[in-house]
Parts: sequence; C-alpha cells; structure tokens
Amino acid sequence: MSTGGTISNRIRALRFNHAEMSQAELGQQIGVTRQTIAAIEAGKYSPSLEAAFRIAQVFNVPLDEVFQWQGAPGA
Amino acid sequence: MPYREKSAWVYLVAILLSFGPYFALVAAGHVPMEGLPNLRMMGYYASACVAQVIMLAGGHIYLRLSSPEDARTPPDERDRALMHRSRNWAYYVLITGAIWVGGFMPFFSAGWYIVNSTFFMITLAECVYYITLVISYRKQS
Repeated sequence: MSTGGTISNRIRALRFNHAEMSQAELGQQIGVTRQTIAAIEAGKYSPSLEAAFRIAQVFNVPLDEVFQWQGAPGA
Repeated sequence: MPYREKSAWVYLVAILLSFGPYFALVAAGHVPMEGLPNLRMMGYYASACVAQVIMLAGGHIYLRLSSPEDARTPPDERDRALMHRSRNWAYYVLITGAIWVGGFMPFFSAGWYIVNSTFFMITLAECVYYITLVISYRKQS
C-alpha cells in the first residue's frame, strides 16, 4: 500500500477571512497552543481528526474546505 | 519559544551540568571504586542529584514567573505526540543499556563499574529524551 501524498490546508486564508483571527485565538478555541496552530499551518504537524473537525467548526465550513489531501501520482 | 520547549531545555541543561561532571570524574578515575560503604562515591552522586534538583526547581520557578499563563496550560495533542516520539527514542537507549549492564557486564565487571554504568545509561536515556524533544520543537514538527 502506498503512503505517498500530502495534506495541505487553508487555515491561514480562513483566519484572514474571519476578522484576521490570530493563531493564538484559534488555538484557544480548539484547545491547542499557538505553536501547534503554526505547525499545522506550515504543514509540519497533522492534527488529530477531532482537532481538524474543531477547526472546521470554528470557521463554520466543511472539513474538506480546511484540509485537502493530495495523493501521490499512481497512489 | 513555547513553555514546554523551555522546560525541556531546563531539564537537559540541568542533567548535563549535574551529571556531566560526576561521570567525568568517575571516568577519569578520580573516585576510588572500592566496595561499600564508598562514602566518597555516594557523596559525589548525592551532590549531583541535589544540584540537579536545585537547577530544575530554580529553572522552573523562573519559567513560571516569566510566563505564568503558558505554564498553566496543559500539554496539547502535539506536545503529547512529541513527548511520545521522544520517549520511543529514549526507550531504545534504555533497553540497550539494560541489556549491556545486566546481560553482559556481570561477566567481566563488578561493583561500582556496573552501578555507574547503570546510572550512566539511565542518564543517557534521559538526555536522548530531552534532546529529541528539543529538536522536535525546533523543527516545529
């Protein structure tokens, strides 16, 4: 089974569209630190499913508007 | 720098500054490896332990006073993931040390050599834990 592929996200754009919400404010609303939000935005850390749903809930959008999966070619 | 990373630095520095000199003295042969009660050896070890406790307490009191809000925040899922990863690496070091100290050393060594090797492997595993944690935070992973 191939495990190639990456997860990208639009958290930065969504924060901007929500009154320029800061990373700290978003983190506070979903129960993680500002550094964790920064790591998620940079694609360095993949959040748990629960945290991902919480982020989508904060922005009031479906999960796939926040996170996108790009599978590797041929995967 | 997040509180948890600062805390990991405090632990790492405290371990290196307290047990580094102890193992350096032992390795250089400045402490006699005579049998019990080897008060000089135990005194050195106790001093290293006390020094570590003082550095940890001082460091964490300073961190709590300088960023009380961060200090009160419990570790989040990423902190726990990083701790879990670091613990995995430290476990490999610890288990290697246990096999070496308990499985091999008794056949060619004895007494304080085995005791100090045990202390050394435990300290090394602790160092690996905090080094991995600090690197993970630095890499923002």
